[in-house]
Amino acid sequence: MAHHFVTSADIPVDGERLVNTKVESAKRVAGGAAALLGLVSAYLLFLAPDAITAQFAYSWLFAFFLFFTLALGGCFWTLLHNVSNSGWGTSVRRVMENLGSVFPFMAIFAIPLACPMVQKWLYEWMNIHGAAAKAHDAGYFDGFLAGFYGSDSMKAALEADHQALLVNKLWYMNKFAWYVRFVFYFVGLGLVIRALRKFSVAQDTDPNPTTKNLFKARYHSTYTLIIFAITITFAGIDLLQGMKYDWFSTMWGVYLFAGAALNSMAVIIITCTLLQKGGYLKRVTGPEHYHIMGKLLLAFTIFWAYIAFSQFFLIWYANITEETSWYLIRNTEGWNTASIALVFGHFVIPFVILLQAWLKKNPKLLSIMCVYTLVMHVLDYYIIVIPERSVSLWAMANQHVPGAESFANVTTSVPGAFWYDILAFLAVGSGFVFFYLRALTQTAVYPHRDPRILESANVSN
Amino acid sequence: MSTTRKRVYGYLAEFPSASALYKAAEKVRDAGFRKWDCHTPYPVHGLDGAMGMKRSILPWFVFFGGMLGTCTGFGLAYITQVDIYPTVVQAKPANIFTVPAFFPIMFELTILFSGFTTLFGLLALMKLPRLNHPLFASRQFHRATDDAFFVAIEARDPKFSPDGTRQFLEDIGGKSIELVEEED
Repeated sequence: MAHHFVTSADIPVDGERLVNTKVESAKRVAGGAAALLGLVSAYLLFLAPDAITAQFAYSWLFAFFLFFTLALGGCFWTLLHNVSNSGWGTSVRRVMENLGSVFPFMAIFAIPLACPMVQKWLYEWMNIHGAAAKAHDAGYFDGFLAGFYGSDSMKAALEADHQALLVNKLWYMNKFAWYVRFVFYFVGLGLVIRALRKFSVAQDTDPNPTTKNLFKARYHSTYTLIIFAITITFAGIDLLQGMKYDWFSTMWGVYLFAGAALNSMAVIIITCTLLQKGGYLKRVTGPEHYHIMGKLLLAFTIFWAYIAFSQFFLIWYANITEETSWYLIRNTEGWNTASIALVFGHFVIPFVILLQAWLKKNPKLLSIMCVYTLVMHVLDYYIIVIPERSVSLWAMANQHVPGAESFANVTTSVPGAFWYDILAFLAVGSGFVFFYLRALTQTAVYPHRDPRILESANVSN
Repeated sequence: MSTTRKRVYGYLAEFPSASALYKAAEKVRDAGFRKWDCHTPYPVHGLDGAMGMKRSILPWFVFFGGMLGTCTGFGLAYITQVDIYPTVVQAKPANIFTVPAFFPIMFELTILFSGFTTLFGLLALMKLPRLNHPLFASRQFHRATDDAFFVAIEARDPKFSPDGTRQFLEDIGGKSIELVEEED
């Protein structure tokens, strides 16, 4: 079977646009669901009794960060495609850009995390940082490296007061710096992805399409890749690692990045498969593109496992109290089963399945694998965020924090809180789908005037 | 007068370009030949499809080689440090939950064994190393590494016939067709 060699005669002059009643109605349903569930969530976060708000804050953080990583991954693949001067993926680049363009809208779902009534349940350090600041000003650690781990002053301080850890970190963990960073995450990378998408879309209608926009996108993808790295690393530290101010892992940013890149590629593959099923993208993508994307999926499955294991391994054998607390919580009772399930479900099974080349060339089977990968991503984030809920709320109840009284007897989980997690997942998820579909219908489905579109359509690997 | 006996290896035909070779390969494939090969100065994308080549069995060798490596790594570590001589390091358990400590060596041996099976499996499948190849008897064949594109059809192919195959190669556009003979 000879492959048909795609020439410019095969590419429609005005490109393909996603005009489909099914997509329109899906967009409307998702938008409506997001608005409705968003209102319910807003009530639960801001107006409901403290006992509910406290539980729902964790649900919201879980759901928000899950979809946040998918949009971030879209930005990453766009940046990487541009900066690596790639030709293979030009026909699917618009899907990456559209996934990335959801990122600025994620700020809407991040608003609750910037509100003190939600923060006080998630980030304990924000409740005690006032006291820590006073200690800091009183000269808790004076002199060069006085607060360095292992220094005598630090050891003495920790003997007296566990909060010494926070005092030492106050230069980073203070509310002012937190808000500055929080705004920067969305504004910084938001502007980047908007600009990159604009370069790409402008090419579609350019009467005299040259390499100008392409090279401009390449040039501006270099230093902005640093903005991406900063965003995912420090957003992960501030929003997730910040749940436990005394815990730290230097692998944390890389770990989140591995999951983000893996699962946004899964979203991109599923989108391309559905677009092809609807009759789009057919002229410019084929088994070769799915093979390449499948290989990237396999590569990041391995990378995720490598990073996840390295993080666990270093903490496990070093056995330092501040570090092991994270895994102790997640390896207690039912959470241990979930953690072990993650090892097999997130790595061993997809690894063995994705090794097969024929499967990666089959869009339908590959998409089924992608859905599976996304389910594992949900489990991953569930284990990151949710075990913290009962532990933190129980501790707050014992410190007599007002509103936390009802959690004095919880153990490894808060009974019934599962339903809040599902609600938050659906609320943020439908919003994510709405903005994603909106982006997909705004532009042509592939950059039909890109100088590399024919190279991409005829790719062979 | 030479007394050496010669054996016919097959026909060698030159094609002017990679695309001519590609089209010729499709025709040789469709004619039903099995024992034949293409020789080009550089890799030609999609030529394996045009030649109708099946996927290599090598990945399976590598897969099972890798699995063997994993099991060897686990077995070596587990049997020596848990079974025969339980070794307690930093108060870590000496049972199946010690397995994270064995992961690095399991990983390393997986890579090592996969690497070995890739290399040696490849050499075995290609019947390498060998000292000579019958095609080296051809005076023009060295150009396969420079600027010429060749198709070689072997005489041991069931469809091979001295006249028919020469005619066939001419029909599909082959130039400087040569009957290559090897010394017995």
